[in-house]
Amino acid sequence: MPPRIVVVGGGAAGIGAAGSARQVDPGARVTVYTEYEDAAYSPCGIPYVHGREIPDFQSLFLQAKEVYQQAGIDIHYETRVTEVDLGRRQVEVEGEGSVPFDCLVVASGFDYADPGVPGADLDGLYYVKNIRRAMEWDRVLDDVRVAVVLDASPLGLEMVTALAHRGIETHLVDSHPWPLAEIADPDIMQPVEESWAELGVKTHFNTRVEALVGDRKVRAVRTSEGELPAGIVVVCTHKQPNTSLARRAGLAIGSTGGIVVDERMATSVAGVYAAGDCVELPHGVTNIPVQGLSGSHAYAQGKVAGANAAGGDRTYRPVYVPWGMVAGRWMIGGASFGETLATALGIPFVMGVAEGISRARYYPGVKKVRVKLLAEPGSLRLIGAQMVGQEGIKERADFLAMAIMTGVTLEDLAWMENVYSPPIGALNEPIAVAAQNGMASVRG
Amino acid sequence: MVTFSQWLRGNSERYLLERAQAEMAKRYLDRPGPPAERGLGPLFWRRVFVPVYRRLPWGLRRAVIQALPGSHRRRWQARGPIRRPPVV
Repeated sequence: MPPRIVVVGGGAAGIGAAGSARQVDPGARVTVYTEYEDAAYSPCGIPYVHGREIPDFQSLFLQAKEVYQQAGIDIHYETRVTEVDLGRRQVEVEGEGSVPFDCLVVASGFDYADPGVPGADLDGLYYVKNIRRAMEWDRVLDDVRVAVVLDASPLGLEMVTALAHRGIETHLVDSHPWPLAEIADPDIMQPVEESWAELGVKTHFNTRVEALVGDRKVRAVRTSEGELPAGIVVVCTHKQPNTSLARRAGLAIGSTGGIVVDERMATSVAGVYAAGDCVELPHGVTNIPVQGLSGSHAYAQGKVAGANAAGGDRTYRPVYVPWGMVAGRWMIGGASFGETLATALGIPFVMGVAEGISRARYYPGVKKVRVKLLAEPGSLRLIGAQMVGQEGIKERADFLAMAIMTGVTLEDLAWMENVYSPPIGALNEPIAVAAQNGMASVRG
Repeated sequence: MVTFSQWLRGNSERYLLERAQAEMAKRYLDRPGPPAERGLGPLFWRRVFVPVYRRLPWGLRRAVIQALPGSHRRRWQARGPIRRPPVV
């Protein structure tokens, strides 16, 4: 009898799990439940359609619905799973009743944190998530003159840049002293702030939101520094794991609020797996659980969960979190953690910083690249990195995450070989220069 | 419902970051730190927890963090440093 695998959630983790389960066991009966009208599109691309970098929302869809049918994946759209009964090994599905399973994959994603201020129930608050709602909001944006973005989170940075590109007067309100302050360091973010100013963005840091003001529809945001008029408020608060179903079912939940899993993405209950934004995973350097990573993390975790649900034996690894994005006119990125988080946790570190260039100094289009490396004192093993530049940041972030994972030291990086070709790489690789500076600072 | 470990982590992370952000903002941007929230709770975390945490040696801090329940307490195969040539 082929196994019956139920997947709750149709995002990157859920679709990854479904496809992987069918690859491992082509006879497996795989059913995916999603509360949305679509599955397998790129929600991460939504800000770029709003910003007009991408011409339409259709480009964000990965596959037509028929492709999944042909692959033997039965996706139930706009269908909510209301309960999981682990004793009877069945899920309760709205409109369908009880559905039995042999293995379950929970890929229930995230919810935005409630802004926690009066007026959070007003119309005119945009939570960027569902592509159909994004299409409707995109039409609304045509008539919006002033927008307020709440929180300089990764999505907040993308939306600020997108709205500015769209020609909308954009205000960013955040309670921290600089943007992305929980992830990135202030020196890395300073060029982004300057480029936003050039784009006409008005930033309000160290500013608390006190209320969203309006009768039925929001018309202003009241802050600790005064009131800002708002035709629309884009809520980009912290992504919280959506674990309500998992909690009610009795799955173990960790200190981040995410579902506890092991390297096979197995939860605390046999035959139940979880993946994506609803789980927490150990950080490769600190072994502290982290949650709310990227879509590429979610997809890879989903593939591991789905393969194991179908009888395979795959493992995922602790995460070193390469990250990168475009904000204003800059690319920012890094791996593991930066100086701010290391300082907060009290992790000992030595640091090397360099301002380098992305191409030969004489080649047209050469850009500055700032690299900051953190290493363990004594061993000088790399433990974190952050960068800002205008090209080559993603590739360096991926490389540095691998370097951290494999135990590379500042000395290794200081004398690393690097590509030198005037249009694509300078004589001195900025990573190597930062490592040399770090070595010099250690030697005093 | 928030468990004890979630409550502890949420608060400690928030106030430790707040202190670090204040230091970094002053050092790099010559700006003040995040505005302090009023009340006894924030006062405890800011005036008692953060200074005590910072005085503890890293090894002890690490042990306390590792003792919290979570995915890190389950089986995970770490990839160790690769320090030898691949074809020897």
